[in-house]
Amino acid sequence: MNPYYFASIALILIGLYAILAKRSVLKMLVGLSIMETGVNLLLISVGYVSGRSAPILSEGITPDRAVDPIPQALVLTAIVIGVATTAMALSVVINLYDRYKTLNVEEIRRLRG
Amino acid sequence: MSQYASLLIALPLFGAFFIPILKRISKSAVMPFLVLVTLIQTGIAAWVFSEVYITGKPIIIMAGGFRPPVGINLYIGHFATLFVLVIAVTSLLMTIFSFKAVSVEPKDNYAMLFLLLMLGATGMISTGDIFNLFVFMEITAISAYALTAYNKTGEASEAALKYIVLGGIGSSFFLVGVALIYGSLGTLNMAHIAQLAHLISPTVAKAGLALLIFGLAVEAEQFPLNAWAPDAYQEAPHPVTAMFSSFVVKASLYAMSRVIYILSAVEGWSSILRLLIILGTLTVILGEMSALRQSNVKRMFAYSSIAQVGLIAVGLALGTKSGVSASVFHMFNHAIVKLLMFLAVGYVALELGGTEINKFEGLGKRMPVSAFAITVGAISIIGIPLFNVFWSKMQLILAALNAQYTWIVALILGASLVEATYYIRLIHTIWFKGEGEKVKESSMLALVMLLLVALIIVIGIYPEPFWNVMQKAGSDIFNVAQYIKNVPLMEVNP
Repeated sequence: MNPYYFASIALILIGLYAILAKRSVLKMLVGLSIMETGVNLLLISVGYVSGRSAPILSEGITPDRAVDPIPQALVLTAIVIGVATTAMALSVVINLYDRYKTLNVEEIRRLRG
Repeated sequence: MSQYASLLIALPLFGAFFIPILKRISKSAVMPFLVLVTLIQTGIAAWVFSEVYITGKPIIIMAGGFRPPVGINLYIGHFATLFVLVIAVTSLLMTIFSFKAVSVEPKDNYAMLFLLLMLGATGMISTGDIFNLFVFMEITAISAYALTAYNKTGEASEAALKYIVLGGIGSSFFLVGVALIYGSLGTLNMAHIAQLAHLISPTVAKAGLALLIFGLAVEAEQFPLNAWAPDAYQEAPHPVTAMFSSFVVKASLYAMSRVIYILSAVEGWSSILRLLIILGTLTVILGEMSALRQSNVKRMFAYSSIAQVGLIAVGLALGTKSGVSASVFHMFNHAIVKLLMFLAVGYVALELGGTEINKFEGLGKRMPVSAFAITVGAISIIGIPLFNVFWSKMQLILAALNAQYTWIVALILGASLVEATYYIRLIHTIWFKGEGEKVKESSMLALVMLLLVALIIVIGIYPEPFWNVMQKAGSDIFNVAQYIKNVPLMEVNP
């Protein structure tokens, strides 16, 4: 079993814990980012082969000496999407703070039922 | 020739990014431009629809000319083309409504996000690659977050924040599922996954599928992850609410059923179906129970929508061809009915200033066309004969009986009973309570509503031709062997 898997799943769980347990909206968003990082690490480690180099074809690097490039392409996409989500969330939080004057999720509760 | 179908993706994308330039030229041209783009999209979608149904063959578009699984392909089959048409028509009708309903500036951002939402849902339905599905899902989700927060009130931000947090968790789950499946099969193409499904270890496949289902369940409003839905429905601009209910949910449900059925060769696969049946059942029960005690009509419709979506998920998880076809029929009917109802409610809210139930007293005298539209929609959703939803509920019941799930029949009938309770209460409030001055209704919106009412009644009286289309669309999802055969896969060693 690959140790990278444990590390990445630990990161995912830490992120999930922060989202579920923290009261501050900003801490929840940090948790979301940690979770996304864990997922990205998991994807990378799926394609990692010990002892091989980055999948960039240059001198001395042939396809059989590089790691699997597809997970790396996926992670690049996922990072970009994660940045967009975080930016979107933060802009919503700015607006939220303007209207409610608090970032505590227990006080942000006008919608219920 | 059929490669022109890729315009279904390209047109809204270029349209969306042309809007900032157009705004520099003339600000008032933005909304008419939106109508133009959706109108062209509807035209293309109708052409693709007739093409696919006349030839009976799906249109496969290969990005960059590489054959799958090396290149990414779009698969516009019987199901995809039907729902791409639904998406395009819904968007067209909602752009007309947006002229009246959206007054918050900047409208150019609204138009851009509107097109991106349409693009994302179209892409989710027509893609043939599981990671591409993730990308389109995120395009849909991010534009949906932004549209939810569009009104810039505190409540809208609160709803959007809930949506973002749940959506973020969902997308992480989805990616972990993708990582598991890619790690064991080494491919992301759906047809290729289906071809190799017998090689995957059952435990990994089931864990991966469960993660994919939980990832998609956020957008598909299934039980543990649907807390965002009522808030977002209530606070989003009215046309956007109608779009959420009519196609954003449906795109995720389709994606869910597609990923489930492509792995149907996996041993012990039926336990995944049972998982989805349980989720769907809980969604129905909680949705109906919450709808019963709402005093805000828009929120009540949102809960009713969640309950219907639960029924669709249950039908998809029956694991039979008739179950999938019945679900597709229910998706189609629900898209029409909820489009009509959210349009009418949104219009009433604009004219009378709110969606609390007391605003609806005397609506039958004040805004007769909208009141009539809400009434027809409500009666249809309950499942009264001669209206469209009756037939799809009927087919769902028959499919459940065939699949030996007698209690699902009880679930559907019980749900209809609860729906009858709260909808008849609403209808009673609309027609028999209160008085008020007559409000002049916009003739354009009245026309749109009457058109949808006519469609509901036409499907209710002549369900046969529609049911035939739905059966073809359903077998497109269910018949995985045909799906693999349709995609021209390159020979690659696993």
